[in-house]
Amino acid sequence: MRAFLPFAAAAAVLCATAAARTHETNPFGSAEDFAVGKRLYRVNCGVCHGMEGKTGRGARLARKVHRRANTDAEMFDLIEKGVPGTDMPGLWLGEDDIWKILLFVRTFEKTAEEPCAAAPGDAAQGKDIFFNRAACAACHTVGMGGGRLGPDMSFAGASFSREQLRVALVEPHRDVAERYRVGRVETQDGKKREGVVMAENGYSLFLMDRSEETLGFQKAELKSFQISRESLMPSYAGVLSAADMDHLLAYLCSLRGSEKGAAQ
Amino acid sequence: MIRSYLGAVLGVVLACAAAPAQVSYGDLVKAQEQPRNWLNYHGGYSGQRHSGLTEITPENVKNLRLKWAFQERMSEKFETTPLALDGVLYITVPPGDVYALDAETGARLWRYSRNLPPKLIACCGLVNRGLGMLGDRLFMATLDAYTIALDRKTGRLLWESKMIDYSQGYSGTLAPLVVKDKVMTGTAGGEYGIRGFIDAYDVETGERSWRFYTIPGPGEFGHDTWAGDSWRRGGASIWITPSYDPELNLVYWGVGNPGPDWNGDVRLGDNLFSDSVVALDADTGERKWHFQFTPHDVHDWDATQVMVLFDSEYKGEERKLLVTFNRNGFSYLLDRESGEFLRAGEYVKQDWAIGIDEEGRPIRRPGKLPTAEGNEVYPRVAGGTNWMSPTFSPQTNLIYVTCGEGSSIYVKGPSEYRPGTRYWGSMFLNEETSRDWTGAVRAFDPLTGKKVWEHPLFRPTLAGLVSTAGGLVFAGTSDGFFKALDAASGEELWRINLGAQIIASPISFGSKGRQHVAVAAGGGIFVFALP
Ligand code: HEC
Ligand code: HEC
Repeated sequence: MRAFLPFAAAAAVLCATAAARTHETNPFGSAEDFAVGKRLYRVNCGVCHGMEGKTGRGARLARKVHRRANTDAEMFDLIEKGVPGTDMPGLWLGEDDIWKILLFVRTFEKTAEEPCAAAPGDAAQGKDIFFNRAACAACHTVGMGGGRLGPDMSFAGASFSREQLRVALVEPHRDVAERYRVGRVETQDGKKREGVVMAENGYSLFLMDRSEETLGFQKAELKSFQISRESLMPSYAGVLSAADMDHLLAYLCSLRGSEKGAAQ
Repeated sequence: MIRSYLGAVLGVVLACAAAPAQVSYGDLVKAQEQPRNWLNYHGGYSGQRHSGLTEITPENVKNLRLKWAFQERMSEKFETTPLALDGVLYITVPPGDVYALDAETGARLWRYSRNLPPKLIACCGLVNRGLGMLGDRLFMATLDAYTIALDRKTGRLLWESKMIDYSQGYSGTLAPLVVKDKVMTGTAGGEYGIRGFIDAYDVETGERSWRFYTIPGPGEFGHDTWAGDSWRRGGASIWITPSYDPELNLVYWGVGNPGPDWNGDVRLGDNLFSDSVVALDADTGERKWHFQFTPHDVHDWDATQVMVLFDSEYKGEERKLLVTFNRNGFSYLLDRESGEFLRAGEYVKQDWAIGIDEEGRPIRRPGKLPTAEGNEVYPRVAGGTNWMSPTFSPQTNLIYVTCGEGSSIYVKGPSEYRPGTRYWGSMFLNEETSRDWTGAVRAFDPLTGKKVWEHPLFRPTLAGLVSTAGGLVFAGTSDGFFKALDAASGEELWRINLGAQIIASPISFGSKGRQHVAVAAGGGIFVFALP
């Protein structure tokens, strides 16, 4: 041990109410349990997932197939421990509370859209389009390879319906997340640069440009700058043939992450 | 028909078109030759924590001023050593966050936040000391005992490999060492009856390539230095980044104390490789040699001080050397190729050993073991020095060390093992003795162990040092002063109060052609440069 900590302070002291899971499937099911679960969901989860599991900065819970967890036991463990490296916190609630929340969460699936359907289209051809012909991989990762400018596509098939993916491709500006806003600057010597906004404060602005270089600017030194909720992703409307669009969507729908939980 | 859409889509650039700067193994080997960047915990494999930057000098250091500060709400100790690469600092923030900060302004470029379980087990705070780096990746050892890889540009998690179940008292706190295609980490938890180990993972996939147990199992060399089955929970943790010699391909790990700390009755024997340096082959994890500083330690004197590598003539022969200032009050000079013991000497007051014999083994003074009533022994439980980094300057050929003088009262009590709980065998008392403690930054000749100068501090400190080619040594104090000393004389040339305790080692790096100095204090990172 390395320091001279007072005796009493030496043991890590964070209180926990979390209890280990003692069931494989949800032991609760009554209307009362459901009501308790709904109330607990409202306080603990609603801010991020929305009361219908469809909105907010959390993952969409209104799905037939979830990305990371599907069986009761898997869902329980995920809700208990959270998802490392994301905004999904480990809430470490008591066992009964988690089961009751899950009871409520399961109702979202009833209103969920169908999971991403691979057909029609050929995923193998879609993969070629993604990596080579349309070079989506210049901006998107699948597994550990690919670009960083856009979101990770490793879970695309588990995260979106086929229609959502199609819209993302043909109308990229429609729904751009905060994290992917575009910044455009013009320097005093008239040079124009653009990129995804990495960071911004009162004085400075940081963009990641298309070559993944992080560019830092002092706002006061710029001729002009502008931040917009546009996408840096080009629209593929009319660019991809109908058949190639089908292939690409088939490929995206087939992406459900790797076992190691790599790339989020 | 195979049609390419590349041309059709305006503005699409392949990621490889302008490949961003990557850190190669060659860069890590030559890290000290590119002082603009600070590429691993020690600023280079040698463990010297020396910066080749020369802009800040004894003459102009009085003009040094704060360039920016970064602050986080924090109840933990902030022990991180930032890495610096091409104008970006990468830091860990306890308990489980990683930030990329713009080196010019401190603006946050991204943040990775690990969701940690609530009941983490750590003897000395939920701390982390920094990152390892290779290619476009950063590596971290986490408090829930994982080794993880992040994308350096975005902070995205690339892989995570579970080292072991944290709930048994294991944790990761050190900055990993990256060598070739492997990232090496190890486990802390020496106070919880763990069995220590060192791991190497493939940088690409996170697959484990080898594991070296710091306590040998049945049939292995050294197993018989543990009585009964005490080896199963004898501690010997790993919590400080090792140094590495690329030519010999050896990694020099300082190993932690044996457990239970203050009651050795259940673990009679030397307790290898606790309180030792082990030299491991970087590719295979095979042990080439070891040297134990404190056999059968009962004072909690981990050997987790930095193993500083340097080459010099010694007794008429050019040698590859290793110098370390151990927590037990002695400094040691070893041949790092063979592990041969060359010399040892006291560098703070100690009274537990009469001396060190020709083999390097201490000759214990009778009556200096912990007792039920408590027994006063020098040095303190925190040691003559501790994990904070020393620095070696190839210009002055001196090694600079943060020293603490004083004693503790060591008490021996019962020790019962229960998984995940503290396994100490009683404790130590500092109340009475701590009034007389003092601290100092001292400069030594590493070949003779002779003290060349001393800069007194009123209290011991857990802040490390960095030396610069401009002729300075930066140091920190427990009452929040960050200061610059003349590397030649120890004279204080500049200081500033950062308002909170410094429990970290500083670095120096370059940005936009200017030299900077950075250190963690309180819940902040403070970055200094000349106007
Ligand atoms: C602070 C925001 C936040 C809160 C609060 C939160 N979540 Fe999440 N949750 C997330 C995010 C973000 C993700 C997506 C993580 C990822 O990238 O996989 C997620 C993922 C999930 C998933 C996995 C979805 C999948 O596709 O596999 C489930 C299930 C879940 N949350 C349930 C809950 C429940 C139940 C609660 C309340 C007990 C809760 N979350 C509270 C942000 C939150
Ligand atoms: C120049 C970089 C770039 C290229 C090339 C690119 N994208 Fe994108 N993409 C982005 C960015 C940035 C976003 C995030 C902003 C947004 O929602 O449009 C995004 C968003 C998306 C989304 C929505 C994901 C979400 O989380 O909402 C999908 C799906 C997608 N891209 C698929 C593709 C496919 C398929 C291709 C190739 C045909 C492609 N992208 C090519 C940059 C790119």
